[in-house]
Amino acid sequence: MTTPARPPLGRSLLRLFTVQGSWNYERMQGIGMGVAEQPLIRDLDGNGTAYHAAVARAAHFFNAHPYLCGLAVGATARAEHDGVPPQQVERLRTALCGPLGALGDRLVWAGWLPLTSGLALIGVALGLGLWAIFGFLIVYNIGHVALRWWALRAGWAYGGQVATALREPVLQRAATLSAPAMALVAGVALPLVVHYLTGGFLSWTRAVLAVVAAGGFVLLRWQRARLTGLRFGLVLLALAALIGWFWQ
Amino acid sequence: MSPPAVLQVMLLVWGTLVGLDLVSVPQAMIARPIVAGPIAGAILGDVATGLQLGVLFELFQYDILPVGAVRYPEYGPATIAAVSAAHAGAGTLGFGLGAVVGLITAMAGGASLQVIRRLNTRAVHRAAAALETGEPRVLARLHIAGILRDAARAAVVTALGLALAQLARDYLVGTVWSRGRVLLSVAAVGVALAAGTAGTLRLVGRGPGLRWFAAGLVGGAAVVWLR
Repeated sequence: MTTPARPPLGRSLLRLFTVQGSWNYERMQGIGMGVAEQPLIRDLDGNGTAYHAAVARAAHFFNAHPYLCGLAVGATARAEHDGVPPQQVERLRTALCGPLGALGDRLVWAGWLPLTSGLALIGVALGLGLWAIFGFLIVYNIGHVALRWWALRAGWAYGGQVATALREPVLQRAATLSAPAMALVAGVALPLVVHYLTGGFLSWTRAVLAVVAAGGFVLLRWQRARLTGLRFGLVLLALAALIGWFWQ
Repeated sequence: MSPPAVLQVMLLVWGTLVGLDLVSVPQAMIARPIVAGPIAGAILGDVATGLQLGVLFELFQYDILPVGAVRYPEYGPATIAAVSAAHAGAGTLGFGLGAVVGLITAMAGGASLQVIRRLNTRAVHRAAAALETGEPRVLARLHIAGILRDAARAAVVTALGLALAQLARDYLVGTVWSRGRVLLSVAAVGVALAAGTAGTLRLVGRGPGLRWFAAGLVGGAAVVWLR
């Protein structure tokens, strides 16, 4: 087997932006993973048996954080080029699902995303308007694209030893720092958002609002397995419409 | 007053892009209400309403952690529909009406995601044998079909939301009484604050994050007081 000197990582990265396009309950992100890995394994065995077998493997079940799928794509493509036995490639993919999912959830869904969207909320509440929105999109996506690109490159560089990449100090530090930063920003955002949304409310409506918000918070915490913000919102809006109708 | 047809088409296109961004392509977070709402507002020439409803639905969005195969409402196209509804009933009335239209659309959007996932599963199941041959064209066909299905889904959800907004404009704007308007708005903001705070605290947890959150609350309150 030969490893290409200049693998088409750019093409694979572009395809990774669509990795969840065919998300399904049977293979989850599997099909998207296969599509993204295909450019990297195209030159395996002169497009013959090894290539088709590798493409079929690449499309098997996979589920992880979408931004970190590139790590598995790069690592398995490299492992295919290095002639790693098929069972071992399958095991590598399976082993990566959990850690990549957990790391991505911590780093992005519970860190970078609420942190940057909290900053956008602060910006809007302070009157920055659309600039806050454009700022959010730019800053968030710098981190987003950088993470996707790092993941793919690291996966390709480490191949079967990809677990080493997950222990990189920068990544660990980012995961550790993102949680308190997100908590601080969310805390700052909350009073500002309350002030922003209730600017036009009269004093008695503010008192009602405080009761609704506090009661709703307690109810959502207490019944969090059954009650969602959406359900609670629909019920309360229906109730508000009914009360308003009687109280004309 | 209904927005002109060309603006409705622009909202539909924007809603389709927003719906696609949520899961399929490219997850750049234009699907976040804080982005979807203000851009919809800009299309309608009413950025202020777009920003307000964007903030409101962003709080609802904090109630969701999109991990694995979890089911969740779709707030992107919902916020666009909400802005379209609220645009007609300026001020407090618009806010409450927008919330009603938005929450119903969000529920429909969430249900439509399940339908698409089931349709994708069926398609993959049917192509199982062909997939095992490792033919890249089979993969590409399934993948592109999945993306197109999601685009159609997003367009339908946005169209449904815009139709609901139209109904709200036609039948409710002139008939909803003043106390009802205020109560709807208070309920919408109250629930959004409750959902946003509960969701944020789930992310923050009980450890040192809670102390950072408390410090932030004090800082944010100080900024409000100073302004």
